[in-house]
Amino acid sequence: MAITTKNRRVAIVGVGYSNVGRNTGLTERHHAAQAANAALADAGLTAKDIDGVGSWGGDAVDFGYMMGFQDLRWELNVGVSPAFIAPAYHAAQAVAAGHADCVMAFRIMMQQPSSAKLAAGGAMLGAPSMSDTVFQYPYGNFSPTQWAGLLMNRYLHESDSTEEHFAKFAVSQRNWALLNDNALQRTPLTEEQFLSTPYITKPLRILDCDYPCDSGSAVIFTTEERARDLRQPAVFVDSSSLCSIHDMNFEALPDMVRTAPVKASKELWARTDLKPSDVSTAHLYDGFSVITFQWLEALGLVPQGQAGPFVAEGNTSLGGSLPVNTDGGAINVGRRHGANFCIEAVKQLRGECGERQVAGADVSVWANAVGPFAGAMLLTKS
Amino acid sequence: MSQPAPPPIIEDPFTLYFWEGSAAHQLLIMRCQSCGTWIHLPKPVCRNCQSMDVKPEPVSGKGTVYSFTETYKAFHPYFVDKVPYLIAVIELAEQPHLHFQSNLVGVTEADVEFGMPVQVEWAEFGDKTIPVFRPVTREGTVA
Ligand SMILES: [Zn+2]
Repeated sequence: MAITTKNRRVAIVGVGYSNVGRNTGLTERHHAAQAANAALADAGLTAKDIDGVGSWGGDAVDFGYMMGFQDLRWELNVGVSPAFIAPAYHAAQAVAAGHADCVMAFRIMMQQPSSAKLAAGGAMLGAPSMSDTVFQYPYGNFSPTQWAGLLMNRYLHESDSTEEHFAKFAVSQRNWALLNDNALQRTPLTEEQFLSTPYITKPLRILDCDYPCDSGSAVIFTTEERARDLRQPAVFVDSSSLCSIHDMNFEALPDMVRTAPVKASKELWARTDLKPSDVSTAHLYDGFSVITFQWLEALGLVPQGQAGPFVAEGNTSLGGSLPVNTDGGAINVGRRHGANFCIEAVKQLRGECGERQVAGADVSVWANAVGPFAGAMLLTKS
Repeated sequence: MSQPAPPPIIEDPFTLYFWEGSAAHQLLIMRCQSCGTWIHLPKPVCRNCQSMDVKPEPVSGKGTVYSFTETYKAFHPYFVDKVPYLIAVIELAEQPHLHFQSNLVGVTEADVEFGMPVQVEWAEFGDKTIPVFRPVTREGTVA
């Protein structure tokens, strides 16, 4: 009988970004190559060490050949899925199973059109080939901000959170970004400024949304054995999950408050001996701020409905009981579609975050997406 | 300047019933003919019993507001002169969690309540007709 599946311990050994920015004028290939070279340099690996590639954005096969990686033993292009956790989860699984030894996971994302351009007819959001749009477009529902507005309003109705709590969350994230040279938004923000910005779709404001940009992110997964010999302190994958509870119609979710993060969290904790109280830092998707609040509650880090008061007490800020999104989140570092949460968790566990370093960080959780689908990964220092 | 064209609607035989029903001022929802489960958004199979015997049937047009959001930014030229407008998820009376996304009319955002009873009515969308919802009083008359 052939042994086709191993059960190897997996580590993250290299992380890297492209030259992230607004309308960079660069192609997906440029961003992939920049991020890949940054991750290889970080790890102390060469292109010839990589034998597997997964990506959302661009094409994993194209990137692997372009970079001069080995002939690939494993490759994956993920379709619409819960952000960077999709290629990251599968990359870790491929290493664990022994189908590849050193896998690079990418998220390459190009800036989407502005609402001004959309309103002028210069572009169209969404995929008109999907027949379900016949039930959305006639009602003026085109933008993810609108399902986010529906989720956020229902969340405000069912929880103890208020718009003021979301203002405090935006300020706490900006304060983290002030300590991150890599953030795109680095001017101080006040609660008054947040509350005086107009609604996009009430109760959602522009500062509840991640910041559109062109970005490339790359993360290298390998075996524990290999990781011990490399440049950086290894960070280990302790547990992970990738779950779905519904199709992609957020508007039809039976419950807009307890969504896929609940299922993903349950699976995450069932696959480890660690507990929510062991978490030193949390890196929770903020494509829309209500998503971070849902994750805080779903992961059991905060009681149901209490994320707003928890944030308002300063717990998620520097020096707080549970530092959250210590890079500033995607609202400040720009839309890297979940990859920044993985990369920042790794940097915190390595202890290389400088002014924003959380002392003694040894367990970090990062989590992506909301609604129909979601996934999370628990990382440890030893 | 002429009115911008509405956003394109995919001509799909499977969802044609929705437009035909709406033109006749009848809200039709797909229903499993085997177990009676209402299926929206429509699918060719019932996720409760896996029967593929599904057919649109009329519903009462009554429901309650599950969630809502008032949109201020236009994301398409057709909606530039229509902002702000209310997008809402209506829980139709026929089945728990049977969520139908639509617009709320005849009410200001400040007066919308979660769980508020609503009733279907009909609005123009280009050369088509679409179901929208208006709050009703507890007695069932239109507010
Ligand atoms: Zn059925």
